[in-house]
Amino acid sequence: MTEPGRGDRTGRNAAALAVAISQLGVECVLEARGGLVLLLPVATSVEKLQDQNTRRAVLALARQHGFTHVALEMPDERRDDGATGDDASVLRD
Amino acid sequence: MALRTWLAAHAPVAIGYSGGVDSAYLAVAARTALGSSGVLAIIGRSPSYPDAQWASARAVARDFDVPVLELDTAELEDPRYAANPSNRCYFCKTELWSKLVPVALARGFSTVADGTNADDLADWRPGAQAAREHRVRSPLADLGFSKQHIRDASRRLGIPTWQQPSSPCLSSRLPYGTEVTRERLHQVERAEAALRELGIAGDLRVRYHEDLARVELCADELTRWLEPALHAALREALLATGFRRVAIDLRGFRSGSLNVLHGVGA
Repeated sequence: MTEPGRGDRTGRNAAALAVAISQLGVECVLEARGGLVLLLPVATSVEKLQDQNTRRAVLALARQHGFTHVALEMPDERRDDGATGDDASVLRD
Repeated sequence: MALRTWLAAHAPVAIGYSGGVDSAYLAVAARTALGSSGVLAIIGRSPSYPDAQWASARAVARDFDVPVLELDTAELEDPRYAANPSNRCYFCKTELWSKLVPVALARGFSTVADGTNADDLADWRPGAQAAREHRVRSPLADLGFSKQHIRDASRRLGIPTWQQPSSPCLSSRLPYGTEVTRERLHQVERAEAALRELGIAGDLRVRYHEDLARVELCADELTRWLEPALHAALREALLATGFRRVAIDLRGFRSGSLNVLHGVGA
């Protein structure tokens, strides 16, 4: 896990990205996999990401934080692993 | 006219033929310019070559009376290829041309050409080195044919590939460093076929990230499939092919996406 404001050796900073994305109104858990960052959003945030301008903003933020790819994970609603529960802002890195 | 002149000057011409947009156009142009005895389209078949692509290649050749020869290639047996380095394509094309060129020459085809286009020259294409080493010519690139130019010309000639999405080999779905295996290639092929079954059109890639399938869609399809009501269908289709997690790339389709992920190339 990284702390907001501090990147890893590659300059990627998932924690700061999570904060920045939440300021767009997109609440989600982030999982970094190298240059790829996965978003595991709460339901209302999925709807926000249907808006192209919001997606562009998320992509721009990801670039600023060192990531080349951003993908929205489609969780199995039947699975209950807490990923989109009350602790949705917790970074899982 | 320039292409016709080039073909006439280099006849007879054997073509490394995948049935993609570029090689299909070159094969049909050569057939038109040189007659059926002046061209031979040679397909290299391997697990990295999708069955759907093979069927399309055969159909175009049949419809335009282009003679076809098929060879099996064994790039997966080469550990340098299977290790999936960033120059993986070099080893694939080395295997292809080292089998194809001698066959073409033995049959009297003095020139071997491929479908590389002018746009490709700006991309990361380590396979081009193998082509040069085997004296394979690239007339479309040399004459400045862009992809769009080729699509427009194909449309005028009635070649159905004019609107076909680009179709690089299946290994391009695996990040560099991830071993290329028959099973993984087959999984990616089945995954993309499953999404086509759902009606997804245009450029489409299922990028392999071990347990995760990352789906890249063209802009229209991306907007459509971000609709939450459709997520279950897409997810279930990919879970059925062996992935355990599914994600949609928010930027959508990018040619050479995994090059960007690994900081490789242009």
